Amino acid sequence: MRRIPSVAAAAVGLLLNVSLAVSPAWAHHAFAAEYDGKKQVHLEGVVTQMEWINPHTWIHIDVTEPDGKVTSWMVEGGSPNILLRRGFNKGSLEKGQKIAVDGFQAKDGSNRANGSNITYPDGKKLFLGSSGTGAPADPGPGK
Amino acid sequence: MRQRVLTSLMVLTAVLVSTLMVTVPVIGQAGQAPAKAKKAAYTPPKLPWGDPDLQGLWPGTDLIEVPMQRDAKAGERTEVTPEEFAQRQAKAERTAENDKVAYVAKDSKVGINPPGYWLEHGRPQKITSLVVDPPNGRIPDLTDQAKQKAAQAKQAKQGHGPNESPEDQSLYDRCISRGVMGSILPVIYNNGTQIVQGPGYVAIRYEMIHETKIIPLDGSPHPSSNIKSYMGDARGHWEGNTLVIETTNFLGDKNGIGLNGGGTPHSADMVLTEKWTRTAPDMMEYTATINDPKTWVQPWTIRMPLRLNPEFPLYEYACHEGNYAMFNMLKGARADEAAAEAAKAGKK
Repeated sequence: MRRIPSVAAAAVGLLLNVSLAVSPAWAHHAFAAEYDGKKQVHLEGVVTQMEWINPHTWIHIDVTEPDGKVTSWMVEGGSPNILLRRGFNKGSLEKGQKIAVDGFQAKDGSNRANGSNITYPDGKKLFLGSSGTGAPADPGPGK
Repeated sequence: MRQRVLTSLMVLTAVLVSTLMVTVPVIGQAGQAPAKAKKAAYTPPKLPWGDPDLQGLWPGTDLIEVPMQRDAKAGERTEVTPEEFAQRQAKAERTAENDKVAYVAKDSKVGINPPGYWLEHGRPQKITSLVVDPPNGRIPDLTDQAKQKAAQAKQAKQGHGPNESPEDQSLYDRCISRGVMGSILPVIYNNGTQIVQGPGYVAIRYEMIHETKIIPLDGSPHPSSNIKSYMGDARGHWEGNTLVIETTNFLGDKNGIGLNGGGTPHSADMVLTEKWTRTAPDMMEYTATINDPKTWVQPWTIRMPLRLNPEFPLYEYACHEGNYAMFNMLKGARADEAAAEAAKAGKK
């Protein structure tokens, strides 16, 4: 239950971003306009709510700081439609579930972050990618 | 570092494997001309009232990796070379492998952009571009009028930040409309397209920003040109087993003919002709011809082979109700401005 902004890690994150920036039309909107590339955060907290809203989902978590103070954070997740196609549904992320988030904080300093890595406490990815549309009958690429 | 070496090795192996794998299909391709002739002869089943049955889910997911415009080096070549196809296959296999990794590595780095699980992936395609006419696969030049308009729009934005008001964002970001072509051109996710038919009508649904086009087939004319909308007015008819849709009455200078409605905006006078032809039980040939003499010096055509995928239902896309991004981007811009002001004040 801690929050560790790391300048060094943020620098690496920035480097990674430069290489990612060549990807066309990455998402629904400009993430660099929302989040501060210099404020990398690691959040460990407990899910209080998941908002299944478009264009992107939002996961709400309560993070307990080292001094015992609890702060609420909002973490931006994938589009609901793609999560549904992956088999994720409204019962998949229960209240009280512990998760860890690595991402960047909102530019205005409020408790919002992008969820670059969202994992269970053991490091397992919360949302797995998919080789196809995520539908069971889809054989995936190249088949 | 070690991971990078490993990844390189995996990539190399994947390339080699896929190169070997494509050897056989390439030989098979020599006999593809008769197969194409057979495709054209496919007769789709008929609906009870006699219209060809085009109904179903036709997502554009397979075409995500196909560029809109052809690489100039490819000239008039409509299909990639076997080597290029092997690269596309290898990339798809790499993506599939990456997607299967269940655990985040301890030292993994994160970026501001979204992670891979946000993206949908399709099967690798052989076509070189979505634009097929002009024969070089490139969007024709803009007219002088359109160039002037673009220059004026650019000038109007001088000294104006990208996030000063909600209206600085695209119609897509604002959850308004991706426009008539932006609604179907393949993008990173939510590429669902559905056709539903009834006697005298065809309805086409587009998943993201959820447009539905209801197209009368009764030969009735377009309304007065005073009536304009983002998606325009669509009228259809059958030419054999092909559904031909002519759309006019657009709001001009709004959406372009690009991904998510981006690109140079079309004019109000554009005439869009779309053709839907079922070429196999699970394949649809879709073409769209853009005729807008005020914007482009000649008409141009996009072609997309769409694969039926009953496992790709359209989920509701109620965008505006949760569009925190708009608020967040504007707030981010204000924070940037405040920081710049503070830095300025600090220097004084």
